[in-house]
Amino acid sequence: MNLDWLDAFLISGLFDIAMVTGLALLLHLQLGLARIANFGVVGFWGLGMYTYGVLYIQVDWTIADPWRFLICAAAGTIVAGLAGLLVGWLIADLDDDGVLVGTLGFATAVFILATTEQDLTGGAIGMGGLRFPFDVGSTKANESLWLLILVLLVAAILFYVARVHRSPYGRLLVALGDNEPLARSLGKATFRVKLGQFALGSAGMGLLGVMFGVMERFLETSNLGINLTLAAIVGLVVGGTARVWGPLVGVLFTVGLFDIVIQSYLPLPRSWYNQAIPVLREMAFGAALIIVLLYRPFGILGDMRRDKLMRRIHGD
Amino acid sequence: MVTERSEVATVTRPRIHIHGARKSFSERVVVDIDDLILGEHPIEGLIGPNGAGKTTLMRMIMHSTSLDEGKISLLPTGSKDDVPVVLSSMHPHKMAKHGVVKSNQVIMDFEKLTIWDSLLLSLTEARYEQPQRIFSESEVFAEHADEARKYLDLFEFADPFGHAESAGEKKLLDIVRCLLLKPRFLLLDEPTAGLPDELTERVMQVIRDLAATGTAVVIVEHDLNVIWNLSDKVHFMAEGSVILGGDPQEIREHSTVIAKYLGEGHV
Repeated sequence: MNLDWLDAFLISGLFDIAMVTGLALLLHLQLGLARIANFGVVGFWGLGMYTYGVLYIQVDWTIADPWRFLICAAAGTIVAGLAGLLVGWLIADLDDDGVLVGTLGFATAVFILATTEQDLTGGAIGMGGLRFPFDVGSTKANESLWLLILVLLVAAILFYVARVHRSPYGRLLVALGDNEPLARSLGKATFRVKLGQFALGSAGMGLLGVMFGVMERFLETSNLGINLTLAAIVGLVVGGTARVWGPLVGVLFTVGLFDIVIQSYLPLPRSWYNQAIPVLREMAFGAALIIVLLYRPFGILGDMRRDKLMRRIHGD
Repeated sequence: MVTERSEVATVTRPRIHIHGARKSFSERVVVDIDDLILGEHPIEGLIGPNGAGKTTLMRMIMHSTSLDEGKISLLPTGSKDDVPVVLSSMHPHKMAKHGVVKSNQVIMDFEKLTIWDSLLLSLTEARYEQPQRIFSESEVFAEHADEARKYLDLFEFADPFGHAESAGEKKLLDIVRCLLLKPRFLLLDEPTAGLPDELTERVMQVIRDLAATGTAVVIVEHDLNVIWNLSDKVHFMAEGSVILGGDPQEIREHSTVIAKYLGEGHV
C-alpha cells in the first residue's frame, strides 16, 4: 500500500487526535454520564506512561518483546486503575468543586513525582530507550502500524461506550449522575459504582498513556501539563458531553482542525511553530469552548436523547 | 380504643421499632420519640400539623437523615430466616435490599431518564448493572417488561418512552418505582399530593392490594380522606412526638387531634 501521503507530521497529528478522542470517550463515561468531573486525566495517563516506561527501561528483563511490552503495558494500566481507585475513594463523596480540585491535585502530584524521582524517570531531562514491541521495517512503517493499533483501540473504546449507553450499566451511570440520592434510595450502591467507573476509566487513560509512551519512545515531564486534560475536556464539551459521538466530533473539531488543518495547510510563519502555535492552540480551544457554550450549551450534537434510544431498542 | 403508644397485635408482617430516636436542627428538637412500633397493622397513617416532624421521622427511618441518638430497627416477621436489622446504622442503599422503601414528599425524578428507563432501573438486579454486562439490556427487558407494563397501563402514562413531564406523572413514577422494588415495608410521604381524584383512587387501590399481600404500609398524607379511607390505624404526631395512636374514627374525633390539628367542625 502506498503511504507516501502519510508523513511524520500527519502520523503524529492523527495519533494525537485518536489518543485525545480515546481520553474524551473515557471522560464521557465519567463526566457525561456519571457527572464525575475528572480534571486529572493527564495524571492517570501520565502514571500509565511512566509506569510502563520505568518498568521497561529500569528492570533487567530476561524476556523479549512483545511479552516485555505486554507485561509493562499491563502494569501501567493496572497502576493507573489502582490510582483511580484510591483517588476515587477520596473524592467520590465530594461535591463537584472538591472532585475538580482533588483530581487536579492528583495530576500535579504525578507531575512532581515524575520530575523529582530522577533516578527512575530521568526527571526534567527525560528518559529514552523505549521502542516499538515489533519491527516491521522503517520508523515510518512502525509508527504507522502503531497508529493503526491505537485507532483500533479507540474504536473498541467507542464501541464499548456505545454499548454502555444501551445497557443497564449505562442507565445506572446516568441515574447516579442525574440524582444520586434517588438512585441510592432504589438500592443502588452509588459509591461503589462511581468508584468502579473511576478506576476503570483511569485504567483506560493509563493504557492510552502507555500507547503514547511507545509512540514517542522518549518520556518527558513536559507532556504532563494541563494541556492534555484541557484538550480532552474541550473536545468532549464541544462535541456533546452526553453523546456517544460527542468526543469524536468535538476532538475532530478542535484538535483535528487545529493540529492538522490549520498547522498543516495554513501558510503560518515558520517562526511561530516554537512559541506562538501552542499558545494560539490553547486560545483557539478556549474560543471554541466559549462559542459552543454560548450557542450550543449541550455541544454540537446536543443533549442526551434517551427517549429516541429507548424507542429504538424497545419500541414496537 | 385510643392508646398512648402502639398496641400489641398478632404480627405477620415486618415492623419498624423506633427507640429513643431524637433529631434536632439548630438546637430545635424536631423529632423526639421514646418508643414506637410502626407496621403492626397493614396500613397505618401518620398525621399531624406542619412541622410536627413526620417527614423528618420518615427520613430518619430511611437513614437519609441521621439520628442524634436512638435506634431504629426492622423487626422480624416471625419466619425463622428473618432477623432484626438495625436500620439507623445501615447504608441508605441497603434499605431497599431489606425491603424498606420510601416514596418522596417533594417531587424527585431522573430528568435524563425516560419513564421506561426509570422503571427498568428499579427492576434491574445489581448483577446486570456491571461494566462488563454491556449486552444484557434485552435480557433485563425480557425478564421485567411485563411487571413494568402492568403499572404503565394502570396509570396510563402519556408516553412511556418519553420523559415524565407533569408533576403528577413524576409523582406517580416515584410511587411505581417504589412498588417495583417489591417492598416489605413501604413508607409513603404524601403520595397523592397533586393527583386528580381518579388517579388518587387507583393509587389507594394499589396500596390496599399491596397491604393485603403482606407489605406493611405507613402513609403520611395531608388529604385526610386518604388517611381515613385507607388506614387501619392512625398515629397522631405533634411537636416531634407521636402522642396518640388508634383507629381512624377514634383519632378524628379525639379532642387533642381536633385542638391541635383538625379544628372544630371538620367531621
